[in-house]
Amino acid sequence: MRSRIFVAALVAVALGVVAATASAGVQHAQASKITVWLQVDAQSGWPDVVAAANTQFQQDHPGVSVDVQYQNWSDHLQKFDATLAGGNTPDVIEMGNTETTKYMAAGAFADLTSYKGTFANSSNWLSGLAKSGMYGGKIYAVPYYAGSRVVTYRTDVWKKAGINKLPSSLAQFNADSKILAAKNKKVKGFSPVYVAGTDWYFAMSFVYDYGGSIARTHAGKWIGNLNSKASIAGLTAWKNFFKTASKAPATSDETKPAPYDVYSQGQAASIIGPGWFSCCVGAKFKTTTAQFVMPSHTKGQPMPGFLGGSDLAVPAPSKNVALAADWIKDFTSTSAERSLQAKGNIPNATSLLGTSVNERAAARSWFVPAAKHWVDVENGNILRNMLAQILIGKLTVQQAASSASDNITSVLNGA
Amino acid sequence: MAVAAETTKWSRRRRLTWARAGRASVPYWLILPVVAALTAILGYPIYSLVRLSLEHYTLFELIQHHGQYIGLKNFSSVLHDQVFWHTLLRTVIFTVVNVGATIVGGTLIALLLVRVSGWVRILVTSGLVLVWAMPQVVAVQVWYWMTNFQNGVVNYVLTELHIGNYFEHDWYQTTFSQLGLVTALIVWGALPFVAITLYAALSQVPGELVEAAEIDGARPWRVFLDVTLPILRPVLLILTSLSILWDFGVFTQPYLLIGQAHINPSNYLMGIYLFEEGYLKTDYGRGAAISLLMLVMVAAMSVVYVRKMVKIGDVD
Amino acid sequence: MSSRVLRRGGWNTVGIVLFAVMVFPVFWMISTAFKPDDQINSLTPTWFSTSPTLHHFADAIHTPFFWTDVKNSVIIVLITVAIAMTLAFLAAVALAKYRFTGRKLFIVLMIGIQMLPGAGLIIPLYVVLARYHQVDKLSGVILTYLTFALPFSVWTLRGFIIGIPKELEEAAMVDGSTRLGAFVRILLPLVAPGLVATSVFAFITSWNEYIFARILLNDQGKQTVTVWLSYFLGTSRHQDWGALMAGSTLTAIPVVIFFLLVQRRIMFGLTAGAVKG
Repeated sequence: MRSRIFVAALVAVALGVVAATASAGVQHAQASKITVWLQVDAQSGWPDVVAAANTQFQQDHPGVSVDVQYQNWSDHLQKFDATLAGGNTPDVIEMGNTETTKYMAAGAFADLTSYKGTFANSSNWLSGLAKSGMYGGKIYAVPYYAGSRVVTYRTDVWKKAGINKLPSSLAQFNADSKILAAKNKKVKGFSPVYVAGTDWYFAMSFVYDYGGSIARTHAGKWIGNLNSKASIAGLTAWKNFFKTASKAPATSDETKPAPYDVYSQGQAASIIGPGWFSCCVGAKFKTTTAQFVMPSHTKGQPMPGFLGGSDLAVPAPSKNVALAADWIKDFTSTSAERSLQAKGNIPNATSLLGTSVNERAAARSWFVPAAKHWVDVENGNILRNMLAQILIGKLTVQQAASSASDNITSVLNGA
Repeated sequence: MAVAAETTKWSRRRRLTWARAGRASVPYWLILPVVAALTAILGYPIYSLVRLSLEHYTLFELIQHHGQYIGLKNFSSVLHDQVFWHTLLRTVIFTVVNVGATIVGGTLIALLLVRVSGWVRILVTSGLVLVWAMPQVVAVQVWYWMTNFQNGVVNYVLTELHIGNYFEHDWYQTTFSQLGLVTALIVWGALPFVAITLYAALSQVPGELVEAAEIDGARPWRVFLDVTLPILRPVLLILTSLSILWDFGVFTQPYLLIGQAHINPSNYLMGIYLFEEGYLKTDYGRGAAISLLMLVMVAAMSVVYVRKMVKIGDVD
Repeated sequence: MSSRVLRRGGWNTVGIVLFAVMVFPVFWMISTAFKPDDQINSLTPTWFSTSPTLHHFADAIHTPFFWTDVKNSVIIVLITVAIAMTLAFLAAVALAKYRFTGRKLFIVLMIGIQMLPGAGLIIPLYVVLARYHQVDKLSGVILTYLTFALPFSVWTLRGFIIGIPKELEEAAMVDGSTRLGAFVRILLPLVAPGLVATSVFAFITSWNEYIFARILLNDQGKQTVTVWLSYFLGTSRHQDWGALMAGSTLTAIPVVIFFLLVQRRIMFGLTAGAVKG
């Protein structure tokens, strides 16, 4: 008998624990709080902008607190998907501009069209960014900021090699790279222009520069376009440039190692990447570092660069759409965008554009196909794979491009 | 009197049966908390996994919380996917190599631990413990840091030792090399558990038995086969089966070490294939089908283990 | 005799080489954590820094939420281990000391759960925890960890309990205690090493778990220390290897301490558990 009581007591305790934990948080999110998911860039780069927006928001909405939760690029989509499934999404979410289309198409975001007038500079939004927030003629995401890619270079090394004029064409850049390589033979593993083998943002710039594209639409269907004549010309030019300029392994990507680490170790005369790369070039080279815009194969023109960026959206299940839109308004105000600009980003509107090198680079830009399944092409590493194959020489440019192109066609059409 | 005796007798008997019933129910009471907890947590997820596998369930359905029944289409699409079969073959080879290396390596270390001096044993054991204590996420970063092409210490050491010119050697260039690194990382991380467990089992082998065999002139290999191995066999079985379970579905180490940017169908393992198809492409129905197929395969591989376990569980 | 000494010397050498190879990644992590940035980035590795610095550790500790997240991890791990051990002990007693219908099924269930592909369960598990309002709560993570801690613990503990001689229980029962009372008073102290050995496994797996903690916890003040660590990798901006290695070192310390505390018992416990397993 005693034993049974004992067991029963234990079971009761055990179940009690489960039950207690299960009922611990029944209270629903009231309108007393909104949850915002931003990427860690804001936490490490511009926490003051976030704080200012929160202050402004709380002035307008006393009693409503803002819970900003920072996310990583590597897994924020999976986390967001989980909240969509569980029905507890945040009220505002930051998304990369190549990630949004799929979510807009699936109906994950609330329609913000009617709020457009409340957002500062919304009539002058950067078209590249604004497009990534529109679907079926409605606005689902608000441009937050953008970034372009530029060439960061060592003025001292370039000068020592006897190059006194910045290249104004791709051919010139190629020639300069050869000179830089010849003059720095003694430095082991030296790259005149370090760029990762599978940096597809960079490689696709050549494709667009030569008039090609990743994909085109025909009769309502997406068709991979990397095997077109112009695209092949671009890829070939990219391959030639890479072979002369960069000593990076064929399969390397643009984050491992970070190009600025290669640079700060003195192994590169120049690197290609976002304008903020100048942050991390190393104390030794701080004073001898400058930036210029990547030249096109057409003399005097910039090469079209990838316009990366972030948007802010309100997930459809959010019960606080109006509040969320208001927070976005505060976070993308003119003064907020000016602060972002001061940190080396491109503000979200043409009316705010300055003349910094990355803003000049953004003058000619390209963007990924606005297809619902684009993000699957990106995550499936189809482009990276193609680039590595071309560089390793396993396949010719033509072969690699054709196979990638077929692949892209099938993925973009949702097969 | 007789009636009274009858009643007491009867009531005692009844009490006895009650007591017996009570005692018989004890084991059920004992397992109840575990069963209840696991059912409460896993019951719905498992049901939902099965249901998802029969539905068209992508991002759109995820938001609507409502899938569309499509029968076995997810399974047939997976089974008709060439990538699936290539991945399966690659994963099976990968698992065999990893489990083999782990078990053989662990056994060798355990045998070594018996033979070394006390202080070396303590040294090696604490080394193993340090390795064991390292979180996977951390271990992956350290390994990447040691093998990066630019200033990885591995390239440096290999070059300095004149094993070859490994200056800026890219370990992540080919699938073979990538999975080789992943294997090294996994085996390295799994050795401590296996070696320490086997050593513990080994210390149960009576020393006199080995000595007697040695005096009889038996070669060390024979001593191992005839004396040591039979004692280790049950432990080896458990360790091998657990290793198969862990290595067949491994995800964290290959995904993080090879890196998202380098993952593509030519280097998928099953765990990664599941993640790519189910989560990255947000085709949850297909993902669920892959999960269930993996479950079936692991179960098939573990039939021997399960039967042995049930048998062990039955004798006492 | 001398050949024997020689042979032992040979084995010792092998042991030391093995130690060096196994421990190298751990050593490299710690040594990197103490190096100044230019030595970390240098193309020629430095083995031991001649000018060690603590600033990576300071950076790591001052990274927001370090202490909160350590506290969260400790809470999660301790509660998981405590619940898992209590519940698993009861079930293990049933398996080891009683014959009952459904026992085979129970064993198969315990093994089967370990075969479930964890990655496949992420979303379904999230949905069920969201329904119980367990997302973004430590309790939700604890419940999740129980699903892998319980089956393993039940099975391992069973091995320890079986090893206890029948006479001991019988002696206790003659004393007039009930069978279960006997188990508790006499078995518990005897199984203690087994409980310790089993809890080590539960401790390590829970402390080191990353994926579920990452998905289930959003609030940075509620995350675990492995998730905290991932923030060193997540920024698209500067990769701080020094702070990452320092953070990693700090993360591994509690496990090492726990190990050192219970090491003797582990060896003893594993011995008993292993042979009977």
